[in-house]
Amino acid sequence: MKTTLALLGLMLPGAAFAQDATLALVGPMAEYKLYVADETQELVKDTRAFTDAVKAGDVETAKSLFAPTRLHYEKIEPVAELFSDLDVSIDSRADDHEAAEADPGFTGFHRIEHALWATGSTEGMAPFADKLMADVEDLAARIDGLTFPPQVVVGGAAVLMDEVAATKISGEEDRYSHTDLWDFRGNFDGARKIVELFRPHVKDDAFLATIDANFDKVDRTLEKYREGEGYQSYEKLTDDDRRVLAAGVNTLAEDLSTLRGRVGLD
Amino acid sequence: MAPAGPSLNMKPVLIGAGILALAGLGAFAAATRHAAPGLPQGARQIAVSETACEPMAMTVPAGAASFVIRNASSRPLEWEILDGVMVVAERENIAPGFTATLTERLKPGSYQITCGLLSNPRGTLTVTPTAQSEAARAAPPTAEFIGPLSEMRVRLIQAGTALERDTAALADAVAAGDLDAAKAAYGTARASWARLGTATARASDLANRMSPAAAVLAGREADPGFTGFHRIEHGLWTKATTEGLEPAARVLAADATEMKARLRDMAVDPADIAGDAARLARHIADGQARQGVNLYSGQDAAEFDAALDSIAGAAKVLAPLTTAAAPDAAKTVESRIAATRSAIAAMGASPEAEAREDVAQGFAALGQALDALNPALGLDAGAAEAGAASGPASGGGAG
Repeated sequence: MKTTLALLGLMLPGAAFAQDATLALVGPMAEYKLYVADETQELVKDTRAFTDAVKAGDVETAKSLFAPTRLHYEKIEPVAELFSDLDVSIDSRADDHEAAEADPGFTGFHRIEHALWATGSTEGMAPFADKLMADVEDLAARIDGLTFPPQVVVGGAAVLMDEVAATKISGEEDRYSHTDLWDFRGNFDGARKIVELFRPHVKDDAFLATIDANFDKVDRTLEKYREGEGYQSYEKLTDDDRRVLAAGVNTLAEDLSTLRGRVGLD
Repeated sequence: MAPAGPSLNMKPVLIGAGILALAGLGAFAAATRHAAPGLPQGARQIAVSETACEPMAMTVPAGAASFVIRNASSRPLEWEILDGVMVVAERENIAPGFTATLTERLKPGSYQITCGLLSNPRGTLTVTPTAQSEAARAAPPTAEFIGPLSEMRVRLIQAGTALERDTAALADAVAAGDLDAAKAAYGTARASWARLGTATARASDLANRMSPAAAVLAGREADPGFTGFHRIEHGLWTKATTEGLEPAARVLAADATEMKARLRDMAVDPADIAGDAARLARHIADGQARQGVNLYSGQDAAEFDAALDSIAGAAKVLAPLTTAAAPDAAKTVESRIAATRSAIAAMGASPEAEAREDVAQGFAALGQALDALNPALGLDAGAAEAGAASGPASGGGAG
């Protein structure tokens, strides 16, 4: 039956476009949105547990949930950061704001991170927790309604690596909790997912082998710091390993920036 | 979000000594992502100070545009082009005193640009139409349909997942002998089925097993081919029992799983988005609305609403293209969706023949409005018709 259907498929109007490489990207684009939808659901669920702990004043539980919750956001960052208002309210850092930590506009994950680690208290955090939860739900609804732009998705692999290289490898993202290695995991997984989905449309085995080797290299380095479900403090990262990670991530960023062109989207 | 901090992959390139005063660098450096030296042809220069962009307003023609952004402030800079709250393009992490280049293909319209700190005022970027952009607006190139086609497929797969879940719940309720729960589960599963729209017609073998109407079978309700949804509906409402229905319910659930799997690799064509939606509208207008679909339960309003959801979804994914190419045609579709929605609500409240007629006319008018979309997008309407001929949705017994 399946064979018959496949043959029927060839006679459908789609066959007129069979030679058109760009429409072959519809499959991986759809699979990527389904991946993002799953991660977004997890993000909503975990953010609820995290913000509940914050509001209950349970500092230890909140601390333990911070990094695993962010992991989902970091995986889908190329899409999540398309919404500039939510990216600011969910994930901005103190130095994006005029008055840094004291700025009323400093909200979201890092505002709560600052309270949990720098002041060791959840006092006054309830409104920030409520706002974070509402923002994450808003993000989920907007992602659900969004037609993903192909250039953003395919370019997202390089963007993720670029961000790690440019603004994360220094340990400044999670500067109060030092849970940066969790974020790296999310960024690596998110980038690799994009590569896996679009791999069949890249006609250069040597290029793919280089990408794989570099992903493997950064994975091996990161895995040295695995601890239970997650990772050790960023402060444990040796200078040598930081250099290895930086080199691998930089090379990946450079190489992956050609992905858009390679699948015919430039 | 990831601004701040010096970039490890910046590749400073000497390009001139125009602005020596800056940060005492002696020469200013261009940070480009891939060491492409020099400036792109016709690149626009923009500087960002502590408080503003210079200039605050720019105009460029549609197509590929390059911007050379100089960070004249004391903080690391993220520069974005925004369409409302949506980021169209961005260049992150430009260190103080450095420049970076951003090249992006832009469509005509009004955009905003960020200028440093979140509290700083934003500048404007106006992109004016060109002959080329006008041609692409009237007949979008194939690549413009990757997004809409992907989104349609996502919606189908998600509807297929819901159908799988809901038919399994129906089978469980039938197996448990809980008549009320089974009736409720039937309605839920049926709405998920309707949300698949005409996609089910592309798996006609499954559709004919999952939802044949008794009227197209020689032995009607007694026919061994009377399987799937309506067989179960007939049992639950006409015979008012779950007895003997479990095998049919389990087969239906298994078929839903198979249907879901097939949705993942169905053939796609740009003209199918509006074409399939129009065909579904006509299919309901020509028969289902007047004659009824769920003859034993009489529960058609929720099902038509769900079918309308799938049509509205198709109109929505095409909207960015149709509103640019043919705003009037797009508006007509929207208003007819709204009118049909009201007619269905009225029918749900009092399901008389007159109300059904209004629903039929609503879907018929909607079908006509949808027919106008493909020609407006420069797509071959004949292609969609060829697709219709290979599927059974146009006629057939699956309803």
